[in-house]
Amino acid sequence: MSDEPEQPASTEGSLEEQLVAYLDGELDSEASRRIEELLATDPKVRQTLQQLDRAWQLLDELDAAPVEDRFTRTTLEMVTLAAAAEVEKCRTEAPRRRRRRWLLAAAGATAAAAAGFLAVVFARPDPNKRLIQELPVLENLDQYCQVSDVEFLRMLCQERVFAEEPENGQ
Amino acid sequence: MLEVRDDSATAFEELVLRYQGRLLTVLEHLVGDRDQADDLAQEVFLRVYRARKNYVPWAKFATWLYTIANHVAANAMRNQSRRREVTLQARESGPMGTRPLEVMVQASSGQMPARQLDKAEVRDMVRMSLSALNERQRMAVLLSKFEGMSYADIAAVMELSPQAIKSLLSRARGNLREVLAPYFESGGRPVIGERPLNDEQ
Repeated sequence: MSDEPEQPASTEGSLEEQLVAYLDGELDSEASRRIEELLATDPKVRQTLQQLDRAWQLLDELDAAPVEDRFTRTTLEMVTLAAAAEVEKCRTEAPRRRRRRWLLAAAGATAAAAAGFLAVVFARPDPNKRLIQELPVLENLDQYCQVSDVEFLRMLCQERVFAEEPENGQ
Repeated sequence: MLEVRDDSATAFEELVLRYQGRLLTVLEHLVGDRDQADDLAQEVFLRVYRARKNYVPWAKFATWLYTIANHVAANAMRNQSRRREVTLQARESGPMGTRPLEVMVQASSGQMPARQLDKAEVRDMVRMSLSALNERQRMAVLLSKFEGMSYADIAAVMELSPQAIKSLLSRARGNLREVLAPYFESGGRPVIGERPLNDEQ
């Protein structure tokens, strides 16, 4: 963007922009210095600045809006109603929230109990398992008790003395 | 505002008392109607209350307030049917009437010295000159003039860049200058509708 004053109307917009920003105190020091140089040397620019400033100062003629008590009162009433509506909404939603919380807590407790049960079930050794493994011994326990020597029993086992014969049963 | 955020009714009342005049001034000059300005201002305070939990302490309250006001006003003006005539022909009500036109005619004819407009007429003229701006130009001018906001703050309120605000204000003030030029030259009425005003892109 060029601020060169020698250039014609195509930069008039940007010059006016700079003048307005100068009046508003929005130019940096370098840009302000350039504008001030221009103002010192160019009467047309000075006139434009003056008119911009005068038009701006005329806005001071606009009234500040008087405020009636009624406005303040009705505004506060409106907000009080909004606040009351918020409280009522919270109150009607509270039982639902409590119910939801209870259900969640119950579901959580149930899940924890189930997890605990399963953990115990899988972690604890099954006494029945051992019985099942030793069932063949138990089925022939009376016979085994007749023999007091384990080595003799092993020998008998190798001779297949205790092999099951379906027709004979036990 | 932090106390309002924490649901203090007293703090909210104090906020309303502190800002209602300023807010009403901006809104009234923005929409040109006092009753509508009242409604809009109340809507703004209601939204401030409802959004109080969203307020962050490092934000300037005035910027936040006017951001809400800008949205409320823009929505209202968008919904409103545009039957306003932007003209400065004789008004049936108000002090301007047809006299300022006669003043200009008399001034230009040189038959009598230009009459100084009285204060009410000047005020009316300035009000009409402001109404010749479009809504965004008007809002930027009002925030700059009445709230003393910087370009950065106005940009935050209007959700534009500071450069866009710089351009907007330049066009607005250029338009005001153009409209009020006859007043500077002869104390006559400003001329709107005879020359095209710079409008934002």
